[in-house]
Amino acid sequence: MKGWLPFAGIAVLATLAGTSLFLAGRESAAPEPAPGAVEVTPAALLAARFVDAEGRPQSLAPLAGNVVILNFWATWCAPCREEMPGFVRLQTRWADRGVRFVGIANDESEKVAAFGRELGINYPLWVGGTEVMDLSRRLGNRLGVLPHSVILDPQGKVLETRIGPYAESALESRLAEIVVKSP
Amino acid sequence: MPALARAAGAMKAAAAVLGAGLFALAHGAPAAPSDDLLEPDQAFRPTARLLMGPPRGTVPALPAAIQVEYRIAQGYYLYRDRLRFDVQPPGLPVMPAEFPPATAMDDPFIGKTFIYREKVTITLPFSANVANPGAYRVRITAQGCAEERFCYSPFRQEVPIVGTAPSP
Repeated sequence: MKGWLPFAGIAVLATLAGTSLFLAGRESAAPEPAPGAVEVTPAALLAARFVDAEGRPQSLAPLAGNVVILNFWATWCAPCREEMPGFVRLQTRWADRGVRFVGIANDESEKVAAFGRELGINYPLWVGGTEVMDLSRRLGNRLGVLPHSVILDPQGKVLETRIGPYAESALESRLAEIVVKSP
Repeated sequence: MPALARAAGAMKAAAAVLGAGLFALAHGAPAAPSDDLLEPDQAFRPTARLLMGPPRGTVPALPAAIQVEYRIAQGYYLYRDRLRFDVQPPGLPVMPAEFPPATAMDDPFIGKTFIYREKVTITLPFSANVANPGAYRVRITAQGCAEERFCYSPFRQEVPIVGTAPSP
């Protein structure tokens, strides 16, 4: 009658192992490589014009010399918002090693500002019109999906372009590789 | 309860837990590879057809509405309130779209949103006697997401209206 006990034990162990693997996989998985080709030169990227939530003109040029994580997102995009608290923590931890995050949204500036305040976003959130998604597409995001993260080296060259949420631990590992190599 | 029945019940429960464990193991792999990525037109496939009204006596039925049906790929969803329809070329007097009940999704930032998964049929009523409604096309602006992976920025689709009105 107690013959089922070993099966139950194995089942419980398998459940625990599977659940741990699933959660670990979700936490550390890098997002998917963007499916298109990069068609933007560093010079064009640094010259691209945006505005901040207050309507002031902005560009990436003043950030040259840093490793920049350019994050395309929108307030209506749930997977985008999931990754942003991790970006806030990474910005804090990596600021003194020359890493800068920038969020760019094709969205309403009031919504973006409210979101930034509510979540305590500690990096610039810029907005733009349809040219934002055009730029995202020319940075490899052929399908025009969000979130889309692009890592730039200190010269503005694209090192990586990915779609989907970037898990904090995966991005931190990537930054560790990049920052060591960058002069 | 006889001992045999108790043992059988316990085995069944253990098998269910084992199944759940194996499922969890199988799903422990990281995110799907990039060749899983669907174009918006593959993830959200619309078709449009004429819906005929009830026949009145010997008078043939008149078209009463355009039905837009979406087939939505597994793991993807479409936002109800971001769907926009218009008919091209302009001239067909289409009334506001009628949406079937949608699944509510609580969003901590934007509040409650309504989504469709798998399949949905939206009705665009009209009541005019148009000679050839089949010559028109439905133009749609839509927005949707791949569950927990990414969202498509608003995209546009255009489909022909299948079916023609009967001859008067």
